[in-house]
Amino acid sequence: MILPLSAIAMLIFGSIVLYGGLVYFLYRALKENNK
Amino acid sequence: MNIIAKNEHWGSRFAFIMAAVGSAVGLGNVWRFPYVCYENGGGAFLIPYFVALFTAGIPMIILEFSVGHWARSSPPEVFKKIGKKWEWIGWWTVLIPFILAAYYVVVMAWCFSYMIYSIDLRWGLNAEQFFLKSFLGITSSPAVIGGLRVPILLGLLAVWVCVFIILYKGVKRIGKVVALTVPIPTILLIILTIRGLTLPGAIEGISYYLTPNFSRLLDVNVWLAAYAQVFFSLGLAQGIMITYASFLHRKSDITNNAFIVSLADAGTSFLAGFTVFSVVGYLAVSQGVGITELGIGGPNLTFITYPTAISLLPFAASFFGMIFYVALLTFGIDSAFSMIEPVTSGIHNKWKISKTKATGIVCTFGFFASLIFATGGGLFWLELVDHFIANFGLVAIGLVECLILGWIYKIRKLREHANKTSDILIGKWWDILIKFVIPFVLCILLAVALVNNIINPYMGYPWWIIALGGVVPAITIFLMSFVLMKIKGKGVEP
Repeated sequence: MILPLSAIAMLIFGSIVLYGGLVYFLYRALKENNK
Repeated sequence: MNIIAKNEHWGSRFAFIMAAVGSAVGLGNVWRFPYVCYENGGGAFLIPYFVALFTAGIPMIILEFSVGHWARSSPPEVFKKIGKKWEWIGWWTVLIPFILAAYYVVVMAWCFSYMIYSIDLRWGLNAEQFFLKSFLGITSSPAVIGGLRVPILLGLLAVWVCVFIILYKGVKRIGKVVALTVPIPTILLIILTIRGLTLPGAIEGISYYLTPNFSRLLDVNVWLAAYAQVFFSLGLAQGIMITYASFLHRKSDITNNAFIVSLADAGTSFLAGFTVFSVVGYLAVSQGVGITELGIGGPNLTFITYPTAISLLPFAASFFGMIFYVALLTFGIDSAFSMIEPVTSGIHNKWKISKTKATGIVCTFGFFASLIFATGGGLFWLELVDHFIANFGLVAIGLVECLILGWIYKIRKLREHANKTSDILIGKWWDILIKFVIPFVLCILLAVALVNNIINPYMGYPWWIIALGGVVPAITIFLMSFVLMKIKGKGVEP
């Protein structure tokens, strides 16, 4: 069985918002700490 | 000036973030989110979930961080600073997580026993029979309490002693503990996910989890479920985030920390979905049944479905069983001590009792309060109290918190306070969310829960049991809040 396209789309969407968002805010926190 | 402001601070920003993430991420992320997601449209649920996260979860966590950082004190003192007559709300806020902790540690005690049972896969081929009959010794109804279960009692003692040892030295020790107890279970969860995804049938499970059913987005209950999930998962309205933020340094960031904590919590839930559904898919394929026929929510998942799947693993079953329960224990311990810390800080702050003594008193009371859940009828009472606290207690406190801080204290002042030290500035949109949107959603959640409970009494139990498990604890906590407010403290007036 292959994962349906719609499930893959939700996987990408969830990953970008959650993990992408987390990486972005951690990056801002590190940048702020280095100042 | 108060004791906290003078003596206690997080060792670093990292320690604070880790502690707040550890508190938010708990057993609920592993057993609740995947199930709620699956029940409410699969992948499509992510849309209302993210809307709820950004319109309620993150704004509320910013609110709790801001007020804790502004008052630099425990919740009772925070509300006293807003107005002397509101101190009881602070006590109400810290007593609810204390009750939550009383049964939460029992679930951890189960995990502790199961971690040991994993060595020889003691549940055998019938995990359900083992869990309910041999392990819990479950009685016929909540009215039959039965005796104390010795393995649970020992686990319970071990968990309460751990909580005491972690808390009595103050936040510096919490900072050191969470540096281990947050990354370790996350790494274990990743290992379990990789193992799960390599099993036959895993794709079927993931497909169930993620395939979106967009028609469900028109159902108001799906949106309510999303708001409820975000609210409970982040540990809001329990005084935890207020207490933790009170230990922050004066110039610490608030808004960015709130985003990091919220996204880390939601990210862990999302990951747990893969861990759970890959294994559930494997179990369904192995047994030749549909995924819907397997229990995938609450204790069923953790103590029946998952052990069954572990027994069927082709190799290293004991190893993967152990790391699953070690992950749950380490996820749970941060949440458990964070539920105890607000009430300990409240007592320590008001009566100037040493932290060690305050922690000792609270943990001893907690241990005795937990005993009812360690009996043969304990599972019934655990589910009953959990149902009422989650549906009414936390939502009611969240609502009161928004109303008092949004309308009486003036939310603008808190926004200005948060913006003073934060990297990301928040605008007037935040005021609108705290004053209007979140109270509106919480009112609907309360109303729906109330109507549902009146039409369909929980599990069809007789009214006297519902009163004993739901109404009596709620009224007792409410009255105790006033009693604790009235008892004269030794604190210096703010």
